Amino acid sequence: MTASTTIAPARLPAWRGSVALRVAQSIVLSFVITGLLILFAGKNPLAAYEQIVLGAFGSWARIVVGLNKAAPYMLAGIGVALCFRGNVANMGAEGQIAIGGLAASILALTCAGALGAATLPFALLAGVLGGVAWAAIAAVIHLARGVHEVLVTLMMNFIAWLVVAEILHGPLGEIDAGFPQTPMFDQVAWLPKLVARSDLHIGIVIAVLAAIAAHIVLWHTVTGFRWRLAGASDKASHYAGLSRARSVFGLMAVSGVLSGAAGAIEVLGVHYRLIEGFSLGFGFNAIAIALLATLKPLWAIPAALFFAFLETGALSMQRQIGIPSSLVLVIQGLSLIFVLCAVGRGARKV
Amino acid sequence: MSPALLEMRGISKSYGPVHANIGIDLTVAAGSIVGLLGENGSGKSTLMKILFGMVQPDQGGIVFKNKELAPGSPREALRAGIGMIHQHFTLVNAMTVAENVMLALGEAGFWLDRKGVAARITELSRSYGLGLDPESTVKDLPLGMRQRVEIVKALMREADLLVLDEPTSVLSPPEVEGLIGVMRKLKGNGRAIIFITHKLGEVLSVCDEVVVLRDGKVSGRTPVAGATREGLAHMMVGRTLAEPPRRAARAPGPERLVARDLSANDGAGLPRLQRSSFALRGGEILALAGIDGNGQAELCDALAGLTPALSGSITLDGVEVTAWTSGARLAAGLAYIPADRSGMSLVQPMSVADNLALRDIARAPFSHYGWLDRKGARALVDTRTREFGVRMAGSDAAIGTLSGGNQQKVVLAREIGRDPGVLIAFQPTWGLDPGATRFVIDTILALRDRGGAVLYISSELEEVLSVGDRIGVISEGRIVGVTDRADIDIVKLGLLMAGHHANIPAAA
Repeated sequence: MTASTTIAPARLPAWRGSVALRVAQSIVLSFVITGLLILFAGKNPLAAYEQIVLGAFGSWARIVVGLNKAAPYMLAGIGVALCFRGNVANMGAEGQIAIGGLAASILALTCAGALGAATLPFALLAGVLGGVAWAAIAAVIHLARGVHEVLVTLMMNFIAWLVVAEILHGPLGEIDAGFPQTPMFDQVAWLPKLVARSDLHIGIVIAVLAAIAAHIVLWHTVTGFRWRLAGASDKASHYAGLSRARSVFGLMAVSGVLSGAAGAIEVLGVHYRLIEGFSLGFGFNAIAIALLATLKPLWAIPAALFFAFLETGALSMQRQIGIPSSLVLVIQGLSLIFVLCAVGRGARKV
Repeated sequence: MSPALLEMRGISKSYGPVHANIGIDLTVAAGSIVGLLGENGSGKSTLMKILFGMVQPDQGGIVFKNKELAPGSPREALRAGIGMIHQHFTLVNAMTVAENVMLALGEAGFWLDRKGVAARITELSRSYGLGLDPESTVKDLPLGMRQRVEIVKALMREADLLVLDEPTSVLSPPEVEGLIGVMRKLKGNGRAIIFITHKLGEVLSVCDEVVVLRDGKVSGRTPVAGATREGLAHMMVGRTLAEPPRRAARAPGPERLVARDLSANDGAGLPRLQRSSFALRGGEILALAGIDGNGQAELCDALAGLTPALSGSITLDGVEVTAWTSGARLAAGLAYIPADRSGMSLVQPMSVADNLALRDIARAPFSHYGWLDRKGARALVDTRTREFGVRMAGSDAAIGTLSGGNQQKVVLAREIGRDPGVLIAFQPTWGLDPGATRFVIDTILALRDRGGAVLYISSELEEVLSVGDRIGVISEGRIVGVTDRADIDIVKLGLLMAGHHANIPAAA
């Protein structure tokens, strides 16, 4: 006889409609509430939103900034989404991006002379491997010592920041730059442009392809089935002969690949050098994007674009009408909370 | 005898068509120990939940200390002085004994009376010989001591009636001795105890009176003085057997699954299966009866390769597979139906089709070279669900939308549809209605008739008796008393289930 005195949680009425509709409603709702906040602050919300739209889409150059910003968000967000699906609470995209950028930079700076035109692919590969290595450390600590994955992946982020800072202040730092950054990479290491004579690099294409690939792996391969199973039930996946160690390693490696690539793309495509704090907050945005996408890899495409354009638009709004751009954080936060409430846990198809 | 402390009169409770309690009377005198005996599902749990206010009875009333006890209120039951000690402890492991007791005391105001509580615990501990240190942390205590913390919690609440729910199932033999000593001291102090157990020896050594439940009714009630083990075992299990299902003549096949000296631990690292051996032939069902928690789950998991064997060997069709993974054993023809349908053998949010593919996803037709083949899978899923008569909205429907019987049919379709050489079936009819139960048993019998070897484990004695070609008991981690169905002695089985391995009468 066991005590069956579990207390049922208070249930609000279910939020109806398709998941897509509920996400859209959540985003609209977050804009409405933020609008009220702007109103209370004595400004015109419609003017503010107009400036955000203009800042995001007002010119080709603005759109390019948004697309370039979206690429690393998308890549890392897909990795986080897959991990969450497989019940691996990976908070470590932030650190994996930083180390990925660092590894790509080291290769680009040290081997450009020897590798010539092959520098770029090798630099991307170095970024990917850097991300994987960083993720693998967390996976080993989690599996071998039983440290909770949230804790270990989160802490590894801070170490990654410090490693990047240490190297920039030391061996790789540009002399007399006045700012912790490396010298500029040789042109052979630059990511090609998608459109000639613009700043738009091919990162966004890589990210969209990664989203499609992740979707295919998740729904059309045995590996994806096993990840979904691992996320749905520990006991059932054990019964089905799967080891948690394998799924944790696999998923963390995928996250490392995607986040490492995100870091490499950012340094090779935007800055052409490693700068301290170049990816600050990217990994945490990736978590938000994964959740906003309700852990669907394809939905990470619009979710990442939404975050990226909102941020570029907000910077312009701040310049134009003096409303702080941090308002965007309010919109991002509210929309995330509403999406989580609207979609809930049970609605997700496994 | 002293006046009645507790009187439960005419308690009835039904869950839909299932009658859990039918007109049960139970009287407990102050300063007495009443043993409540019965198999799983005989109605003990429901009766005690009603007493403790966790369940509302359909009929009947409870008088405690000459006052009517309001039904359906655990708070009321606690306040009146009924203390329940659950099989699974309700302790906070990271806290000390004293802190756990303070939690239980509840309405203690704002300031903690650490010293006072600790002093009371020490005093109670001394007078009942509990040996508890109020400052020790619960997680450092062995299970027997944790149970004493539960007892102290009840005593601090001034419980006059303690209900001990299978208190000895988690204890080692010396700890059982200690507990029985504590129970005697409690009784000497005028407190009454309801002692729920399956173990006849414990009942006879400590109780004043025994009440036996069977199928929701009181099947026997006797003072312990003069009661015999055989008599109690008969009250517990004695029944007329249902018409056994049709079965073909048995053709003894080759040995297919052999276990030698198998031992395994449970998830908490406690030894549950201890040097068990059996040999299973093709075309036969070896059915094991036993009270829940006697090593059944560990036996099944060890055989299936889900938990490591700590000693001994497992041989499948003549090949030693002790070190093989569960997947390799599955590929070699070992199918397994676990008892936990909702958590282990099925994944509730996944579709019927995915659940059918659960353990075979890496094989054709479910996949080729790592790519899922939805069309090929669909064809097989359609065939299997038709073959096993699964009623569902469609194979894309989440398995959770199916009835329990249809869910189990999906498990059968997966495990038996593979046409395995050996099947381990652990409580395969648990929670099913009679129709679905019959379907499961008939399907398993058909596998046997085709030459399959089946290990059938259930806590429903009746089912074991009707299904098995050979029948045995799993008790305290050992497989004992395996005999041909023709030579079955029910009383002996009952004694074995109740933990009496030695001193079994040679013939009854």
